Amino acid sequence: MNLLIVLALVGLMHAARTFDAGGAHATTLAFGFVLLAAFFAGRIFASLRLPKLTGYIATGIAVGPAVLGLLSPELIHDLEIVDGVAIAMIALTAGNELDLRAFRPLLRSIQWITLWAVIGTALLLGAAVFAMQGLLPFFDRLSLLPALAVALVMGVVMSAQSPAVVVALRDEMEADGPMSRTVLGVVVIADLVVILLFAATSSLAQSVIGAPGDFSDTLSLLTWEILGSLTSGVLVGAIIAAYLRFVGRNGALFVVTVCFVAAEVGSRLHFDPLLVALAAGVLIRNATRQGDVLQAQIELASLPVYVVFFAVAGAHIDLRLLASVALPATAIVAVRGIGLVLGSRIGAHLAGSPEVVKRWAGFGLLPQAGLALALAALFVKTFPEFGAEARALVLGVVALNELVAPAIYRWALVRSGEAGRREAAEAVAELVEEAQPAA
Amino acid sequence: MDVQAPQGPEVAIRLILVLVALLGLAYLGGLPAVQRLERRLRIAQLVTAGFPFVALGIVLGLPSVGILTESVLSTLSPLLGFGLGWIGFSAGFRLDVRELDDLPKGTARAVGFATALPFVLVVASVGLFLLVTSDWSRLDLSNPDFLRGALLLGTAGATTAPQAARLLGEAGREQRMLLRLEELAGMVGMAFIAAFFRPRGESIGWQLPDTAWLFLTVGLGGVLGVLACVVLQRATGPAESVLLLLGTVAFGAGFGSRLYLAPMVVCFVAGVFLSNVPGEHRRRLREALERLERPIYLLFLVAVGAMWNFGDWRGWALLPFFVVARLCGKWLAEKLIRKTTDLAPDGDHWMARRAPVGQLSIAIVVSALLLFPNGEIPILETAVIGGAVVTELLAQVFARNRTRARPSLALGVEP
Repeated sequence: MNLLIVLALVGLMHAARTFDAGGAHATTLAFGFVLLAAFFAGRIFASLRLPKLTGYIATGIAVGPAVLGLLSPELIHDLEIVDGVAIAMIALTAGNELDLRAFRPLLRSIQWITLWAVIGTALLLGAAVFAMQGLLPFFDRLSLLPALAVALVMGVVMSAQSPAVVVALRDEMEADGPMSRTVLGVVVIADLVVILLFAATSSLAQSVIGAPGDFSDTLSLLTWEILGSLTSGVLVGAIIAAYLRFVGRNGALFVVTVCFVAAEVGSRLHFDPLLVALAAGVLIRNATRQGDVLQAQIELASLPVYVVFFAVAGAHIDLRLLASVALPATAIVAVRGIGLVLGSRIGAHLAGSPEVVKRWAGFGLLPQAGLALALAALFVKTFPEFGAEARALVLGVVALNELVAPAIYRWALVRSGEAGRREAAEAVAELVEEAQPAA
Repeated sequence: MDVQAPQGPEVAIRLILVLVALLGLAYLGGLPAVQRLERRLRIAQLVTAGFPFVALGIVLGLPSVGILTESVLSTLSPLLGFGLGWIGFSAGFRLDVRELDDLPKGTARAVGFATALPFVLVVASVGLFLLVTSDWSRLDLSNPDFLRGALLLGTAGATTAPQAARLLGEAGREQRMLLRLEELAGMVGMAFIAAFFRPRGESIGWQLPDTAWLFLTVGLGGVLGVLACVVLQRATGPAESVLLLLGTVAFGAGFGSRLYLAPMVVCFVAGVFLSNVPGEHRRRLREALERLERPIYLLFLVAVGAMWNFGDWRGWALLPFFVVARLCGKWLAEKLIRKTTDLAPDGDHWMARRAPVGQLSIAIVVSALLLFPNGEIPILETAVIGGAVVTELLAQVFARNRTRARPSLALGVEP
């Protein structure tokens, strides 16, 4: 039945497209179509024991310009309005789940895994890119030392993780436990680490090759972004907490509105919506009593936003570009995967983490999305001479990871026994709560 | 993360001010004391809750504030189409055709008077106004814009705010059904206008006779109703119900807009279908609608406010023509209803019952704005939004004066 509904929607969408070439009203139609088609495709994928999230992404690829062309590039651009809201909501969720008291026992694991898996993989990827110079024509213009520096920057860019995918999969699988918590902590911390590493390595590369980009500009941009984002995040968190505490009514609408305003205005101010919302979420969870209220409000409003966000991410995947960089991109995906899984195991071992963290946490670091793309855009600005060619490679790597990594992390959540544990824990808590008054 | 240069701190300050304004507005609206005051004053939806959001949209859209800039507004414009679909869907879902079986005698006549007379008077007066103020050198009698504008305002003027029935408390129960039928008449009028005043040209696909578009509107609404019925029955929880409802309404509104049909009429038909097909989906749908109806409507009003071009003096000049003609039509209708049926038991309250212009009227004119972007529609928008405020204030003043004069006629408290 799910398949029939998707086919009916595709048929209706195709009929609508025959009417005229475009028009300003097409965005509403595209939004509804993507929401329904991706939702039911997600269900089909779930019945095949694949993540719903992969179904949303696959829908985006199928209906996007690369395959059926039901969504034009202009329409996809219009739907990107959801991106900022989605990233902000996902980060708000992630931040709100970072209860620092509960995470304290995991801090040692998070530190060691971040060091070995994230920083180690960045170095490994740099080495891999340097070793693959023959497959990457833009390296022909660089001598040994600049090539090494640029390879290092690319390694940092491609080592980025995706808190968005990790949070979405954790919600979808109702997962809870030391492994999923450690992964969440690592990907959130890694977000900051990768941004800082990018600032350091790109400035180093610029000084080595004497690129026309302005080093101090890049550094000040990143400083402004990190500090400005965190400060405004604290303000946004205080406003949300005040609303939930003193008003409460229509909380979900207020949270979505704040996320929209923070994303729209934040991007104009060169703030990172992810960091803004992350700081807001951490503040609400750890400095106020509104954390649970916020979680309940987000749960009501988040599903439609997530579905469209991941479907639009899929629609962005350019299959022709992917084919043109298939060989180096596949090799880099493999190296990245090995680096993250091995690095995570070494880090967890050194930290004395539980067995479940040692075995499975590395797979949670594989998903990749927005940050890598954003850093790739910054890479183009920093190295205008060859940045665009390097960006194509990054896009290829992100596309492959978007398709493969969620399924792997889902498998890891199931095998680790943490999938479905949150639901069970909530059910036990409810039973205890019910039993208490009776007692 | 973006790579464009950062803007100054003034944008951040504005952002904080906007968030604080929203917080303040919500805080005030949520205060029990304010809610008690609203109930005591019996103030209906538009002025107390809706209009501040229109005003907020206006403020955010001002160039000096710079939050809802032109680029943001252009990105947000799909929200208008979606909001229209939402209003149509909600109105359709409220119309349970089984209730039509128990209607008292004379209902059809009463609805006919209550909609046809204001329609005729508004079309005549507004048509004359638009004809006089239009550019005579460009007058095209084969596709007269002034007639289209007059018919639109006539349709908007024919309906009454459903909140008017709440003002009457227990006495308003019978009237509520009449107001729903007025909404139905408004939808029919909008469907006709969208079908017979369509944009024309080579770039428009599907060259069909105008009447065919009318049938297509109803047919498309029916198809979407069936699809929505199948889709909504598969929801397994509140979050999925919300997603599927949002998706269905957006798909219906977008499909209708794409074909230059009125999105709210298409969604209205789908809503009526869903409301009258038995099944578990109706309970879930009602819950999801209750949860979302008001927030989406308020967001729609913010977008309406931000996009409202109220600078044209002709809109304000048109306002008294629209309000006076509409009130005359409603008053005349009330007289005729009382004379020919038993459906107007309390003549003292005709102003409260008939005067307020509701969200459907605003939706009709916004729908026209999307369908016919080039024309005199912005001045019609000014007349309707301004008219909504004026008529509600009039209704409040008249209702309260009557209550003071005759306490036995005290109005019921809004539920």
